[in-house]
Amino acid sequence: MTNILEVKNLSLSSPENGTKLLHKVNFSVAPGEIHSLLGKNGSGKSTLAYALMGLKQYDYRRGGIFFEGQDISREETHQRARRGMTLTFQEPCRFEGLTVRDFFQAGNKKAGEKEIKKNLDLVGLSADFADRRIDENLSGGERKRLEIASVIIMKPKLIIMDEPDASLDIIVYNEFYDLLINIKEELNCSILLITHREEAGIAADRATLLEEGKTVDTGDFRQVMRLYCSRMGRQTECHKNKRCCQQNCGNKDSE
Amino acid sequence: MSLPQDFIKTAKMCGLKHALDNKGHFYVSGDKVVSKQELKGVKLRSRETKEGVKAEVIIQKGVKIKEPLFFCFGILKKKQEQFIIPHITVEEGAEVEIVAHCSFPHAQETVHDMEAEFNLGKNSKFSYQEHHYHGKNSGAQVYPKLKLNMEEGSEFNSNFVLTQGTVGETKIELEGNLKKRAKANIESKVLGKNSRDNVEIVDKINLKGAGSKGLIKMRAAARNGGRVLMQGETYASARDAFGHVDCQEIVVGKNSSARAVPIVEVSHDQARVTHEASVGKINQKELETLMTRGLSEEEATELIINSMMK
Repeated sequence: MTNILEVKNLSLSSPENGTKLLHKVNFSVAPGEIHSLLGKNGSGKSTLAYALMGLKQYDYRRGGIFFEGQDISREETHQRARRGMTLTFQEPCRFEGLTVRDFFQAGNKKAGEKEIKKNLDLVGLSADFADRRIDENLSGGERKRLEIASVIIMKPKLIIMDEPDASLDIIVYNEFYDLLINIKEELNCSILLITHREEAGIAADRATLLEEGKTVDTGDFRQVMRLYCSRMGRQTECHKNKRCCQQNCGNKDSE
Repeated sequence: MSLPQDFIKTAKMCGLKHALDNKGHFYVSGDKVVSKQELKGVKLRSRETKEGVKAEVIIQKGVKIKEPLFFCFGILKKKQEQFIIPHITVEEGAEVEIVAHCSFPHAQETVHDMEAEFNLGKNSKFSYQEHHYHGKNSGAQVYPKLKLNMEEGSEFNSNFVLTQGTVGETKIELEGNLKKRAKANIESKVLGKNSRDNVEIVDKINLKGAGSKGLIKMRAAARNGGRVLMQGETYASARDAFGHVDCQEIVVGKNSSARAVPIVEVSHDQARVTHEASVGKINQKELETLMTRGLSEEEATELIINSMMK
Protein backbone atom coordinates (compact mmCIF):
# COMPACT_ATOMS: atom_id res chain seq x y z
CA MET A 1 0.00 0.00 0.00
CA THR A 2 1.31 3.49 -0.84
CA ASN A 3 2.40 5.48 2.16
CA ILE A 4 0.34 8.56 2.87
CA LEU A 5 3.54 10.55 3.40
CA GLU A 6 7.10 9.84 2.40
CA VAL A 7 9.99 12.11 3.12
CA LYS A 8 12.99 11.12 1.06
CA ASN A 9 16.47 12.52 1.69
CA LEU A 10 15.00 15.91 2.49
CA SER A 11 17.65 18.57 2.99
CA LEU A 12 16.91 22.22 3.34
CA SER A 13 18.54 25.35 4.61
CA SER A 14 17.68 28.82 5.76
CA PRO A 15 17.24 31.27 2.86
CA GLU A 16 18.62 34.09 5.04
CA ASN A 17 22.01 32.69 6.02
CA GLY A 18 22.28 29.30 4.36
CA THR A 19 22.32 27.41 7.69
CA LYS A 20 21.47 23.75 7.22
CA LEU A 21 18.15 23.04 8.94
CA LEU A 22 17.40 19.51 7.80
CA HIS A 23 19.84 17.03 6.36
CA LYS A 24 18.81 13.87 4.50
CA VAL A 25 15.66 13.31 6.53
CA ASN A 26 13.94 10.02 5.71
CA PHE A 27 10.77 8.58 7.12
CA SER A 28 7.26 7.59 6.09
CA VAL A 29 3.76 7.60 7.52
CA ALA A 30 1.47 4.73 6.60
CA PRO A 31 -2.29 5.10 6.04
CA GLY A 32 -4.16 4.95 9.36
CA GLU A 33 -0.99 5.32 11.42
CA ILE A 34 -0.24 7.63 14.33
CA HIS A 35 3.41 8.45 13.90
CA SER A 36 5.34 10.41 16.53
CA LEU A 37 8.09 12.78 15.60
CA LEU A 38 10.50 12.92 18.54
CA GLY A 39 13.50 15.07 19.28
CA LYS A 40 14.71 17.63 21.72
CA ASN A 41 14.14 21.36 21.27
CA GLY A 42 15.94 22.67 18.22
CA SER A 43 16.23 19.24 16.57
CA GLY A 44 14.17 20.40 13.57
CA LYS A 45 10.73 18.93 14.36
CA SER A 46 8.73 22.10 13.81
CA THR A 47 10.90 23.09 10.84
CA LEU A 48 10.08 19.73 9.31
CA ALA A 49 6.36 20.17 10.04
CA TYR A 50 6.31 23.61 8.40
CA ALA A 51 8.33 22.32 5.45
CA LEU A 52 5.90 19.43 4.97
CA MET A 53 3.06 21.94 4.87
CA GLY A 54 4.98 24.37 2.62
CA LEU A 55 4.65 27.16 5.16
CA LYS A 56 8.09 28.72 5.20
CA GLN A 57 10.30 29.70 2.31
CA TYR A 58 13.20 27.31 2.81
CA ASP A 59 15.91 26.58 0.28
CA TYR A 60 15.33 23.02 -0.85
CA ARG A 61 18.71 21.44 -1.44
CA ARG A 62 17.70 17.92 -2.29
CA GLY A 63 15.15 15.20 -1.71
CA GLY A 64 11.44 15.48 -1.71
CA ILE A 65 8.09 15.26 0.05
CA PHE A 66 5.63 12.77 -1.37
CA PHE A 67 1.95 12.69 -0.48
CA GLU A 68 0.12 9.58 -1.68
CA GLY A 69 3.03 9.00 -4.05
CA GLN A 70 2.91 12.50 -5.60
CA ASP A 71 5.83 14.91 -5.22
CA ILE A 72 4.37 17.97 -3.49
CA SER A 73 7.68 19.65 -2.61
CA ARG A 74 6.99 22.67 -4.85
CA GLU A 75 3.29 23.06 -4.11
CA GLU A 76 1.87 25.94 -2.11
CA THR A 77 0.36 25.38 1.32
CA HIS A 78 -3.28 25.61 0.22
CA GLN A 79 -2.64 23.15 -2.62
CA ARG A 80 -1.23 20.64 -0.14
CA ALA A 81 -4.21 21.25 2.16
CA ARG A 82 -6.60 20.64 -0.70
CA ARG A 83 -4.90 17.30 -1.32
CA GLY A 84 -5.87 16.31 2.22
CA MET A 85 -3.04 17.26 4.56
CA THR A 86 -3.19 19.91 7.23
CA LEU A 87 -1.53 21.11 10.41
CA THR A 88 -2.49 22.19 13.91
CA PHE A 89 -0.27 24.83 15.46
CA GLN A 90 1.30 24.53 18.88
CA GLU A 91 0.16 28.06 19.73
CA PRO A 92 -3.02 28.55 17.71
CA CYS A 93 -3.64 32.14 16.68
CA ARG A 94 -6.70 34.23 17.41
CA PHE A 95 -8.73 36.07 14.83
CA GLU A 96 -10.66 39.23 15.50
CA GLY A 97 -14.20 38.90 14.26
CA LEU A 98 -13.96 35.35 12.94
CA THR A 99 -16.49 33.04 14.57
CA VAL A 100 -15.87 29.38 15.21
CA ARG A 101 -18.42 28.63 12.48
CA ASP A 102 -16.53 30.84 9.98
CA PHE A 103 -13.28 29.18 10.98
CA PHE A 104 -14.66 25.68 10.52
CA GLN A 105 -16.25 26.60 7.19
CA ALA A 106 -12.95 28.04 5.95
CA GLY A 107 -11.72 24.44 5.96
CA ASN A 108 -14.96 22.89 4.76
CA LYS A 109 -17.43 25.20 3.01
CA LYS A 110 -20.10 22.51 3.05
CA ALA A 111 -20.00 21.97 6.81
CA GLY A 112 -23.53 22.46 8.13
CA GLU A 113 -24.76 23.08 11.66
CA LYS A 114 -25.05 19.38 12.45
CA GLU A 115 -21.45 18.71 11.46
CA ILE A 116 -20.15 21.77 13.30
CA LYS A 117 -21.96 20.67 16.44
CA LYS A 118 -20.64 17.12 16.08
CA ASN A 119 -17.05 18.36 15.79
CA LEU A 120 -17.41 20.62 18.80
CA ASP A 121 -18.81 17.70 20.74
CA LEU A 122 -15.88 15.52 19.68
CA VAL A 123 -13.43 17.89 21.35
CA GLY A 124 -15.65 18.37 24.40
CA LEU A 125 -17.10 21.79 23.58
CA SER A 126 -20.79 22.73 23.60
CA ALA A 127 -22.74 23.69 20.47
CA ASP A 128 -22.98 27.35 21.49
CA PHE A 129 -19.25 27.71 20.74
CA ALA A 130 -20.20 27.92 17.04
CA ASP A 131 -21.17 31.58 17.50
CA ARG A 132 -18.21 32.49 19.67
CA ARG A 133 -15.46 34.61 18.21
CA ILE A 134 -11.92 33.24 18.11
CA ASP A 135 -10.56 36.12 20.12
CA GLU A 136 -8.90 36.73 23.46
CA ASN A 137 -12.06 35.71 25.32
CA LEU A 138 -11.34 32.04 24.61
CA SER A 139 -9.05 30.26 27.04
CA GLY A 140 -5.86 28.63 25.78
CA GLY A 141 -7.37 25.17 26.27
CA GLU A 142 -10.56 26.06 24.37
CA ARG A 143 -8.52 27.49 21.52
CA LYS A 144 -6.43 24.30 21.32
CA ARG A 145 -9.55 22.15 21.20
CA LEU A 146 -10.98 24.36 18.45
CA GLU A 147 -7.75 24.04 16.51
CA ILE A 148 -8.14 20.27 16.49
CA ALA A 149 -11.87 20.42 15.68
CA SER A 150 -11.19 22.82 12.82
CA VAL A 151 -8.94 20.30 11.07
CA ILE A 152 -11.18 17.30 11.76
CA ILE A 153 -14.01 19.04 9.91
CA MET A 154 -11.80 19.13 6.80
CA LYS A 155 -11.81 15.31 6.80
CA PRO A 156 -8.08 15.24 5.98
CA LYS A 157 -6.04 12.18 5.13
CA LEU A 158 -3.07 13.39 7.20
CA ILE A 159 -3.00 15.71 10.21
CA ILE A 160 0.34 17.09 11.35
CA MET A 161 0.04 18.11 15.00
CA ASP A 162 2.74 20.37 16.40
CA GLU A 163 3.00 19.53 20.10
CA PRO A 164 -0.73 19.51 20.84
CA ASP A 165 0.04 17.81 24.16
CA ALA A 166 2.44 20.51 25.41
CA SER A 167 1.05 22.17 28.54
CA LEU A 168 -1.74 19.60 28.93
CA ASP A 169 -2.50 18.67 32.50
CA ILE A 170 -1.10 15.22 33.30
CA ILE A 171 -4.55 13.93 34.24
CA VAL A 172 -5.95 14.58 30.79
CA TYR A 173 -3.25 12.78 28.79
CA ASN A 174 -5.30 9.59 28.63
CA GLU A 175 -8.30 11.54 27.33
CA PHE A 176 -6.19 13.40 24.83
CA TYR A 177 -4.55 10.33 23.35
CA ASP A 178 -7.95 8.61 23.24
CA LEU A 179 -9.16 11.60 21.26
CA LEU A 180 -6.36 11.08 18.73
CA ILE A 181 -7.30 7.42 18.39
CA ASN A 182 -10.94 8.43 17.91
CA ILE A 183 -10.02 10.95 15.25
CA LYS A 184 -7.87 8.42 13.45
CA GLU A 185 -10.61 5.81 13.48
CA GLU A 186 -13.46 8.15 12.63
CA LEU A 187 -11.67 9.83 9.72
CA ASN A 188 -9.58 6.81 8.75
CA CYS A 189 -6.68 9.25 8.59
CA SER A 190 -3.03 9.33 9.64
CA ILE A 191 -1.56 11.61 12.27
CA LEU A 192 1.99 12.89 12.47
CA LEU A 193 2.35 13.82 16.13
CA ILE A 194 5.19 16.06 17.20
CA THR A 195 5.72 15.44 20.88
CA HIS A 196 8.13 15.05 23.76
CA ARG A 197 5.75 12.91 25.79
CA GLU A 198 6.44 9.25 26.47
CA GLU A 199 2.72 8.79 27.14
CA ALA A 200 2.17 9.38 23.43
CA GLY A 201 2.86 5.65 23.22
CA ILE A 202 -0.75 5.19 24.30
CA ALA A 203 -1.74 6.27 20.81
CA ALA A 204 1.35 6.17 18.60
CA ASP A 205 2.20 3.19 16.43
CA ARG A 206 5.62 4.26 15.22
CA ALA A 207 8.06 7.09 15.73
CA THR A 208 10.94 8.92 14.10
CA LEU A 209 13.72 10.55 16.08
CA LEU A 210 15.36 13.73 14.80
CA GLU A 211 18.65 15.08 16.04
CA GLU A 212 20.28 18.22 14.67
CA GLY A 213 18.06 18.07 11.62
CA LYS A 214 18.90 14.43 10.82
CA THR A 215 16.93 11.22 11.13
CA VAL A 216 18.50 9.08 13.84
CA ASP A 217 15.99 6.27 13.90
CA THR A 218 12.52 5.41 12.66
CA GLY A 219 10.40 2.44 13.64
CA ASP A 220 8.44 1.01 16.57
CA PHE A 221 7.45 3.76 19.06
CA ARG A 222 8.94 2.08 22.16
CA GLN A 223 12.22 1.33 20.46
CA VAL A 224 12.62 4.88 19.19
CA MET A 225 11.49 6.42 22.49
CA ARG A 226 14.08 4.34 24.38
CA LEU A 227 16.77 5.54 22.03
CA TYR A 228 15.56 9.12 22.47
CA CYS A 229 15.75 8.82 26.26
CA SER A 230 19.20 7.25 26.19
CA ARG A 231 20.43 10.03 23.90
CA MET A 232 19.01 12.51 26.39
CA GLY A 233 21.00 10.73 29.11
CA ARG A 234 18.02 9.43 31.04
CA GLN A 235 15.91 6.32 31.45
CA THR A 236 12.40 6.31 30.07
CA GLU A 237 10.45 7.97 32.82
CA CYS A 238 7.57 6.08 34.44
CA HIS A 239 4.48 8.24 34.96
CA LYS A 240 2.64 5.38 36.69
CA ASN A 241 0.02 5.57 34.02
CA LYS A 242 -1.29 2.06 33.46
CA ARG A 243 -1.87 2.43 29.76
CA CYS A 244 1.46 4.14 29.24
CA CYS A 245 3.24 1.40 31.19
CA GLN A 246 1.58 -1.28 29.09
CA GLN A 247 3.02 0.42 26.04
CA ASN A 248 6.38 1.55 27.33
CA CYS A 249 8.10 0.51 30.58
CA GLY A 250 6.00 -2.44 31.82
CA ASN A 251 5.81 -1.15 35.43
CA LYS A 252 3.17 -3.37 37.09
CA ASP A 253 2.73 -0.99 40.06
CA SER A 254 1.17 1.69 37.93
CA GLU A 255 -2.33 2.87 38.77
CA MET B 1 -43.78 58.80 0.05
CA SER B 2 -41.67 55.78 0.80
CA LEU B 3 -37.93 55.32 0.56
CA PRO B 4 -36.55 55.37 -3.03
CA GLN B 5 -35.76 51.90 -4.37
CA ASP B 6 -32.05 52.66 -4.77
CA PHE B 7 -31.75 53.40 -1.05
CA ILE B 8 -33.66 50.22 -0.17
CA LYS B 9 -31.20 48.28 -2.31
CA THR B 10 -28.11 49.82 -0.68
CA ALA B 11 -29.61 49.45 2.81
CA LYS B 12 -30.03 45.73 2.13
CA MET B 13 -26.48 45.60 0.79
CA CYS B 14 -25.30 47.06 4.10
CA GLY B 15 -27.21 44.44 6.07
CA LEU B 16 -30.02 46.77 7.17
CA LYS B 17 -32.97 44.83 5.73
CA HIS B 18 -34.35 44.39 9.23
CA ALA B 19 -34.63 48.16 9.75
CA LEU B 20 -36.55 48.94 6.55
CA ASP B 21 -39.93 48.00 8.00
CA ASN B 22 -39.47 49.93 11.21
CA LYS B 23 -42.28 52.39 11.82
CA GLY B 24 -40.41 55.35 13.27
CA HIS B 25 -38.39 56.85 10.46
CA PHE B 26 -36.95 59.93 8.82
CA TYR B 27 -35.91 59.94 5.16
CA VAL B 28 -34.08 62.67 3.28
CA SER B 29 -33.24 62.48 -0.41
CA GLY B 30 -31.04 65.28 -1.71
CA ASP B 31 -32.33 68.45 -0.05
CA LYS B 32 -35.91 67.17 0.50
CA VAL B 33 -37.50 65.34 3.39
CA VAL B 34 -39.34 62.50 1.64
CA SER B 35 -40.95 60.82 4.62
CA LYS B 36 -41.06 60.88 8.39
CA GLN B 37 -43.02 59.07 11.07
CA GLU B 38 -43.12 59.91 14.75
CA LEU B 39 -43.81 57.37 17.45
CA LYS B 40 -45.38 57.78 20.86
CA GLY B 41 -42.76 59.50 22.96
CA VAL B 42 -40.70 60.53 19.94
CA LYS B 43 -40.98 64.08 18.53
CA LEU B 44 -39.59 64.58 15.07
CA ARG B 45 -39.57 68.03 13.48
CA SER B 46 -37.82 68.97 10.27
CA ARG B 47 -37.39 71.98 8.02
CA GLU B 48 -35.93 72.38 4.56
CA THR B 49 -33.93 75.61 4.64
CA LYS B 50 -31.50 77.32 2.28
CA GLU B 51 -28.75 76.13 4.52
CA GLY B 52 -29.87 72.50 4.47
CA VAL B 53 -32.29 70.08 6.10
CA LYS B 54 -32.70 70.74 9.80
CA ALA B 55 -34.12 68.01 11.97
CA GLU B 56 -34.93 67.92 15.63
CA VAL B 57 -35.59 64.58 17.26
CA ILE B 58 -36.60 64.30 20.90
CA ILE B 59 -36.99 61.05 22.78
CA GLN B 60 -39.08 62.15 25.71
CA LYS B 61 -38.20 61.68 29.35
CA GLY B 62 -38.38 58.07 30.54
CA VAL B 63 -39.59 56.71 27.20
CA LYS B 64 -37.99 53.45 26.14
CA ILE B 65 -38.33 52.83 22.42
CA LYS B 66 -38.19 49.13 21.71
CA GLU B 67 -37.94 49.10 17.92
CA PRO B 68 -35.03 51.06 16.40
CA LEU B 69 -35.82 54.24 14.47
CA PHE B 70 -34.54 54.15 10.89
CA PHE B 71 -33.02 57.26 9.34
CA CYS B 72 -31.87 57.50 5.74
CA PHE B 73 -29.96 60.42 4.28
CA GLY B 74 -29.19 59.90 0.61
CA ILE B 75 -28.43 61.48 -2.73
CA LEU B 76 -29.67 59.84 -5.92
CA LYS B 77 -28.06 62.26 -8.37
CA LYS B 78 -24.50 61.96 -9.65
CA LYS B 79 -23.77 65.57 -8.67
CA GLN B 80 -25.46 67.24 -5.74
CA GLU B 81 -24.66 68.81 -2.41
CA GLN B 82 -26.53 67.89 0.72
CA PHE B 83 -26.33 69.46 4.15
CA ILE B 84 -28.08 67.86 7.10
CA ILE B 85 -28.29 69.38 10.56
CA PRO B 86 -29.79 66.86 12.96
CA HIS B 87 -30.19 67.55 16.66
CA ILE B 88 -31.13 64.49 18.65
CA THR B 89 -32.05 64.74 22.31
CA VAL B 90 -32.57 61.69 24.46
CA GLU B 91 -34.14 63.01 27.62
CA GLU B 92 -33.55 61.79 31.16
CA GLY B 93 -34.05 58.04 31.56
CA ALA B 94 -35.08 57.55 27.92
CA GLU B 95 -33.67 54.75 25.76
CA VAL B 96 -33.48 54.55 21.98
CA GLU B 97 -31.65 52.91 19.13
CA ILE B 98 -31.29 54.68 15.80
CA VAL B 99 -30.08 52.93 12.68
CA ALA B 100 -28.93 55.43 10.06
CA HIS B 101 -28.13 54.77 6.43
CA CYS B 102 -26.24 57.32 4.32
CA SER B 103 -26.43 56.32 0.70
CA PHE B 104 -24.93 57.91 -2.41
CA PRO B 105 -25.16 55.05 -4.92
CA HIS B 106 -24.45 57.06 -8.09
CA ALA B 107 -21.97 59.51 -6.60
CA GLN B 108 -19.58 61.13 -9.01
CA GLU B 109 -19.37 64.60 -7.56
CA THR B 110 -21.69 64.51 -4.60
CA VAL B 111 -21.06 66.23 -1.31
CA HIS B 112 -22.69 65.15 1.92
CA ASP B 113 -22.12 67.48 4.83
CA MET B 114 -23.55 66.95 8.27
CA GLU B 115 -23.37 68.86 11.49
CA ALA B 116 -25.02 66.75 14.14
CA GLU B 117 -25.52 67.30 17.82
CA PHE B 118 -26.59 64.54 20.17
CA ASN B 119 -27.62 65.41 23.71
CA LEU B 120 -28.06 62.60 26.19
CA GLY B 121 -29.96 63.34 29.40
CA LYS B 122 -29.24 61.91 32.81
CA ASN B 123 -29.24 58.07 32.83
CA SER B 124 -30.40 57.86 29.22
CA LYS B 125 -29.20 55.27 26.71
CA PHE B 126 -28.61 55.87 23.04
CA SER B 127 -27.39 53.30 20.56
CA TYR B 128 -26.51 54.71 17.15
CA GLN B 129 -25.46 52.78 14.06
CA GLU B 130 -24.47 54.56 10.88
CA HIS B 131 -23.94 52.47 7.75
CA HIS B 132 -22.66 54.26 4.68
CA TYR B 133 -22.68 53.38 1.01
CA HIS B 134 -20.80 55.75 -1.30
CA GLY B 135 -21.23 54.00 -4.67
CA LYS B 136 -18.65 52.28 -6.84
CA ASN B 137 -16.87 55.28 -8.32
CA SER B 138 -15.13 56.86 -5.32
CA GLY B 139 -17.05 60.01 -6.29
CA ALA B 140 -18.50 60.96 -2.91
CA GLN B 141 -17.21 63.64 -0.58
CA VAL B 142 -18.56 63.02 2.88
CA TYR B 143 -17.93 65.31 5.84
CA PRO B 144 -19.97 64.46 8.93
CA LYS B 145 -19.30 66.18 12.25
CA LEU B 146 -20.88 65.14 15.52
CA LYS B 147 -20.92 66.90 18.84
CA LEU B 148 -21.94 64.63 21.70
CA ASN B 149 -23.00 65.93 25.10
CA MET B 150 -23.58 63.34 27.79
CA GLU B 151 -25.12 63.98 31.17
CA GLU B 152 -24.51 61.98 34.33
CA GLY B 153 -24.96 58.22 34.01
CA SER B 154 -25.85 58.31 30.33
CA GLU B 155 -24.63 55.68 27.86
CA PHE B 156 -23.83 56.06 24.18
CA ASN B 157 -22.85 53.24 21.84
CA SER B 158 -22.09 54.03 18.24
CA ASN B 159 -20.94 52.02 15.28
CA PHE B 160 -19.88 53.68 12.04
CA VAL B 161 -19.51 51.28 9.11
CA LEU B 162 -18.20 52.02 5.63
CA THR B 163 -17.20 48.67 4.19
CA GLN B 164 -19.45 48.28 1.15
CA GLY B 165 -18.61 50.06 -2.11
CA THR B 166 -15.92 52.74 -2.24
CA VAL B 167 -15.03 55.50 0.20
CA GLY B 168 -14.23 58.53 -1.96
CA GLU B 169 -13.15 61.45 0.20
CA THR B 170 -14.46 60.97 3.74
CA LYS B 171 -13.59 63.01 6.79
CA ILE B 172 -15.42 62.31 10.02
CA GLU B 173 -15.09 64.21 13.25
CA LEU B 174 -16.69 63.29 16.53
CA GLU B 175 -16.23 65.03 19.86
CA GLY B 176 -17.86 63.79 23.02
CA ASN B 177 -18.04 65.46 26.42
CA LEU B 178 -18.87 63.07 29.23
CA LYS B 179 -20.08 64.00 32.66
CA LYS B 180 -20.09 61.90 35.83
CA ARG B 181 -20.39 58.12 35.22
CA ALA B 182 -21.28 58.60 31.56
CA LYS B 183 -20.07 55.88 29.19
CA ALA B 184 -19.28 56.19 25.48
CA ASN B 185 -18.32 53.36 23.20
CA ILE B 186 -17.39 54.61 19.74
CA GLU B 187 -16.57 52.11 16.98
CA SER B 188 -15.61 52.72 13.35
CA LYS B 189 -14.99 50.26 10.54
CA VAL B 190 -13.76 51.47 7.19
CA LEU B 191 -12.39 49.81 4.07
CA GLY B 192 -10.48 51.93 1.50
CA LYS B 193 -10.39 50.09 -1.80
CA ASN B 194 -8.47 52.13 -4.36
CA SER B 195 -6.21 55.12 -4.89
CA ARG B 196 -9.19 57.51 -5.00
CA ASP B 197 -10.32 56.42 -1.56
CA ASN B 198 -9.11 58.60 1.28
CA VAL B 199 -10.64 58.44 4.71
CA GLU B 200 -9.84 60.31 7.89
CA ILE B 201 -11.64 59.66 11.13
CA VAL B 202 -10.99 61.72 14.23
CA ASP B 203 -12.83 60.57 17.34
CA LYS B 204 -12.27 62.61 20.46
CA ILE B 205 -13.60 61.87 23.92
CA ASN B 206 -13.33 64.24 26.87
CA LEU B 207 -13.80 62.37 30.14
CA LYS B 208 -14.76 65.30 32.32
CA GLY B 209 -16.90 63.59 34.94
CA ALA B 210 -15.82 61.32 37.79
CA GLY B 211 -16.11 57.64 36.83
CA SER B 212 -16.78 58.42 33.18
CA LYS B 213 -15.59 55.84 30.67
CA GLY B 214 -14.72 55.99 27.00
CA LEU B 215 -13.74 53.36 24.47
CA ILE B 216 -12.68 54.28 20.95
CA LYS B 217 -12.31 51.23 18.71
CA MET B 218 -11.15 51.76 15.14
CA ARG B 219 -10.75 49.13 12.44
CA ALA B 220 -9.64 49.87 8.92
CA ALA B 221 -8.10 48.29 5.87
CA ALA B 222 -6.44 50.12 2.99
CA ARG B 223 -6.20 48.18 -0.26
CA ASN B 224 -4.93 48.88 -3.76
CA GLY B 225 -3.71 52.40 -3.05
CA GLY B 226 -6.39 53.40 -0.53
CA ARG B 227 -5.42 55.75 2.32
CA VAL B 228 -6.70 55.65 5.86
CA LEU B 229 -6.04 57.82 8.89
CA MET B 230 -7.60 56.97 12.20
CA GLN B 231 -7.06 59.32 15.10
CA GLY B 232 -8.48 58.37 18.46
CA GLU B 233 -8.13 60.96 21.20
CA THR B 234 -9.06 60.60 24.84
CA TYR B 235 -8.59 63.27 27.48
CA ALA B 236 -9.29 62.31 31.08
CA SER B 237 -9.54 65.04 33.69
CA ALA B 238 -11.63 63.55 36.48
CA ARG B 239 -11.30 61.04 39.30
CA ASP B 240 -11.72 57.39 38.22
CA ALA B 241 -12.20 58.33 34.59
CA PHE B 242 -11.03 55.53 32.33
CA GLY B 243 -10.47 55.51 28.62
CA HIS B 244 -9.06 53.16 26.02
CA VAL B 245 -8.16 53.69 22.37
CA ASP B 246 -7.82 50.57 20.25
CA CYS B 247 -6.83 50.89 16.62
CA GLN B 248 -6.06 48.18 14.08
CA GLU B 249 -5.36 48.90 10.46
CA ILE B 250 -4.34 46.52 7.70
CA VAL B 251 -2.46 47.56 4.58
CA VAL B 252 -2.75 45.46 1.43
CA GLY B 253 -1.27 46.20 -2.01
CA LYS B 254 1.07 48.79 -3.47
CA ASN B 255 0.71 52.45 -2.52
CA SER B 256 -1.90 51.75 0.15
CA SER B 257 -1.28 53.50 3.41
CA ALA B 258 -2.69 53.54 6.90
CA ARG B 259 -1.91 55.81 9.81
CA ALA B 260 -3.01 55.49 13.40
CA VAL B 261 -2.72 58.49 15.68
CA PRO B 262 -3.69 57.79 19.25
CA ILE B 263 -3.64 60.79 21.57
CA VAL B 264 -4.14 60.11 25.23
CA GLU B 265 -3.89 62.76 27.89
CA VAL B 266 -4.57 62.50 31.60
CA SER B 267 -4.78 65.51 33.90
CA HIS B 268 -6.05 63.87 37.09
CA ASP B 269 -3.92 61.54 39.21
CA GLN B 270 -6.83 59.13 39.71
CA ALA B 271 -7.65 58.76 36.03
CA ARG B 272 -6.21 56.37 33.46
CA VAL B 273 -6.19 56.06 29.70
CA THR B 274 -4.63 53.21 27.69
CA HIS B 275 -4.15 52.67 23.99
CA GLU B 276 -3.12 49.94 21.58
CA ALA B 277 -2.49 50.15 17.88
CA SER B 278 -1.43 47.80 15.16
CA VAL B 279 -0.84 49.02 11.62
CA GLY B 280 0.53 47.11 8.68
CA LYS B 281 0.42 43.81 6.88
CA ILE B 282 -1.92 41.00 7.75
CA ASN B 283 -0.83 38.84 10.65
CA GLN B 284 1.29 36.09 9.08
CA LYS B 285 0.13 33.42 11.50
CA GLU B 286 -3.52 34.12 10.75
CA LEU B 287 -2.75 33.79 7.03
CA GLU B 288 -0.78 30.58 7.51
CA THR B 289 -3.50 29.02 9.64
CA LEU B 290 -6.13 29.64 7.00
CA MET B 291 -3.81 28.44 4.22
CA THR B 292 -3.36 25.12 6.04
CA ARG B 293 -7.17 24.90 5.88
CA GLY B 294 -7.05 25.12 2.10
CA LEU B 295 -7.50 28.85 1.43
CA SER B 296 -5.19 30.58 -1.01
CA GLU B 297 -3.35 33.65 0.26
CA GLU B 298 -5.87 35.94 -1.47
CA GLU B 299 -8.86 34.07 -0.06
CA ALA B 300 -7.35 34.09 3.42
CA THR B 301 -6.65 37.85 3.20
CA GLU B 302 -10.25 38.49 2.14
CA LEU B 303 -11.64 36.43 5.01
CA ILE B 304 -9.42 38.10 7.62
CA ILE B 305 -10.34 41.62 6.46
CA ASN B 306 -14.04 40.84 6.18
CA SER B 307 -14.16 39.26 9.61
CA MET B 308 -12.35 42.22 11.16
CA MET B 309 -15.01 44.51 9.65
CA LYS B 310 -17.94 42.49 11.01
